Amino acid sequence: MNDRIHKRNSLVNRIIDGSVTVDSVTKFEDLLKAFPNDPGLHRIYGDLLKKENSPNAAADAYGTAAKLFIESGMTLQAIVSKLFEWQIFKPSQQEEQAFCSALHQARHIDRAVQRFFTGMTYPEMMAFITKLMLENFPAGGSVKKFGDEENTFYFVVSGALEETEYHRLETGGRIRKKSTRNLIENDFFGEIYPFGEENVSQSDIKTITRVELAKISKSNLINICRKNPNVKLLVGNLHKSRSEFVEKKVTRTVRKTARQTLPTQVNLKIFQNETGKVPLDLVGFTEDISLGGARVVLGTKYQTGHADNLTGKHVKLKISLPTVSVRLSILGTIVWSKKVYFEGKNTAVVGVQFNEMTDTDRRVLEDYHYGSAGEQNLIWSLWDSLMEK
Amino acid sequence: MREEQDTEMESAPIIWAIGGGKGGVGKSVLSTILSFWLARMGKRTVLIDVDLGGANLHTLMGIKNPPRTLNDFITRKFKSLEDICIDTEAKNLRLISGSSEVLSLANPHFSQKVKLINHFSMLDADYVVIDLGAGTSFNVLDFFLAAHEKIIVLTPEPTSIQNAYIFVRNAVYRRLSRLCSKSPSLQPLVKIAMDPKNEFKIRTVKELLQFIQESGGKDAAEPLEKGIGEIRPVVITNMVKSNKEKNAGRIVQIVSEKYLMIQSTDLGSVSYDRQIFAMVSDMSPLIRLDQSSHAFANIYDVATKLLKD
Repeated sequence: MNDRIHKRNSLVNRIIDGSVTVDSVTKFEDLLKAFPNDPGLHRIYGDLLKKENSPNAAADAYGTAAKLFIESGMTLQAIVSKLFEWQIFKPSQQEEQAFCSALHQARHIDRAVQRFFTGMTYPEMMAFITKLMLENFPAGGSVKKFGDEENTFYFVVSGALEETEYHRLETGGRIRKKSTRNLIENDFFGEIYPFGEENVSQSDIKTITRVELAKISKSNLINICRKNPNVKLLVGNLHKSRSEFVEKKVTRTVRKTARQTLPTQVNLKIFQNETGKVPLDLVGFTEDISLGGARVVLGTKYQTGHADNLTGKHVKLKISLPTVSVRLSILGTIVWSKKVYFEGKNTAVVGVQFNEMTDTDRRVLEDYHYGSAGEQNLIWSLWDSLMEK
Repeated sequence: MREEQDTEMESAPIIWAIGGGKGGVGKSVLSTILSFWLARMGKRTVLIDVDLGGANLHTLMGIKNPPRTLNDFITRKFKSLEDICIDTEAKNLRLISGSSEVLSLANPHFSQKVKLINHFSMLDADYVVIDLGAGTSFNVLDFFLAAHEKIIVLTPEPTSIQNAYIFVRNAVYRRLSRLCSKSPSLQPLVKIAMDPKNEFKIRTVKELLQFIQESGGKDAAEPLEKGIGEIRPVVITNMVKSNKEKNAGRIVQIVSEKYLMIQSTDLGSVSYDRQIFAMVSDMSPLIRLDQSSHAFANIYDVATKLLKD
């Protein structure tokens, strides 16, 4: 049996995300034998050894984690592991240089945070990373609140957070949510740039899972930038990419094959081709509805006429979605129809192609199919974080 | 593995329902092999094809034309589900085949569904494994919600993850709507709150329950919270080809917890197995799958974990 494959998913991920704790060094060694190339596991192993007062072994584990993170193109995580190693044994200049050189030479996933770190020279990088502080938060914790002074810049090393932005009143209070977005590993936050502006937070940031953050204070960053103008340039680029990132995250959704098969009540007005004829008013339910059309089972009231006679007719649909209080009003055309037996009686099922709907109705229908923007964004944030090759 | 016969006291069978929204994610394959393992562990098992619109589970068992189907029970040709159970070549495993022939069966009355669910519980078996159809129709959701173990299958693809999540979301809505039908005053409240563009900025089930608590009192929210809390699905990622792909179930787990207050369990993954595809194409009985197959072993693991639950 391929026990390895299965256990990796159910156990190792949980160890890494903090929902399972392994506090036996022996058990951890067994795990590492099974999964020798998992950088996250080596990093946690280092934490355990440090706790167990085995500094030499802990430093080795952090070193291995850093190496494996570099190989995976995860610069920030490599730096954090290396910092832990260096907290135990102060590095020589050669070791520092070798590490920075390895970061520059490694393959990179094209992310703003990678460009930021690898854009620095050896002295700049050392000036920056030695001022980084690490902080852990449990799931459901609060990192930053609306109105807090913005004096820290954060990088997400691991885990997921949610940022909720609010409209601000002139009195300083907050009203209504403006937007929410998710932050995952390699994202960053903190409105500290341009340095001359004194900002207060416009948002709450809370953790969704256990989170590890690397942070640097605004005052330290100003000092580094004063001595290293290139770092200031890189911070500016990072700030710019954050604005682009926010825009991208908010608008990104999947619009591929999703359709809803949760039955939805529909009122249909089927217009007759002959002028002067009264439209047929019917009630039915959708078996399948997408943004382009719906398959509608007509209520048993429709028992007259041949089903084929419905094809080509124009219809007005009033759709009551189970999740919203408003009714959607959509104009369409019946493109196919067939006779069916439903609830003991003959009726018809028709395929309606949607022709016209208002933008508001389209948005409501989109949300119904794909989930809210928040749900979509979280799925995609996690996809990027956990699945992207 | 040693075959053993259970000597448990006679009681209603435990029902496992396998759904997941998207077609082609391997629900039927997983149902078949899970049932096979249960049977091999000595559990008297009945596998039921509830894909009422497109039943095909019998083909995975190597049966071309099932002599009796669920339709024979619905149309009262047979009085008991026991009468329509078909023996399979695996000891302890019987099959109730679905029917693709009669469209009316694809839309049973709610009373017919209740009757069916009650009859599932009367089967002379230790375990009943229900293979649900694709999609999130009321049929699928009602059978899913009625099961003791609610299993969601997905593959590591964006659309499958999305559909699996929507499946959980619709199950929550269905449960909420059934609960609200018992207290009509809550219905408009829930509907307003669930509108994605609602002016109250309610975005999660937790916020919805808070809203109801503030609007209708604590007593109104409590049964809803309890009802939702009882939906504790397990998630299985199927057809996995790499370590990263095993995280697909975790995504559904995290999003469901945050937006729907659903505590799900990521039960692990099943490796992609070319042999299974070949067997399905050849209509060879899946239970003859080479037992050294990774997928076969993964599903054994899933079965043992579910049994420990």
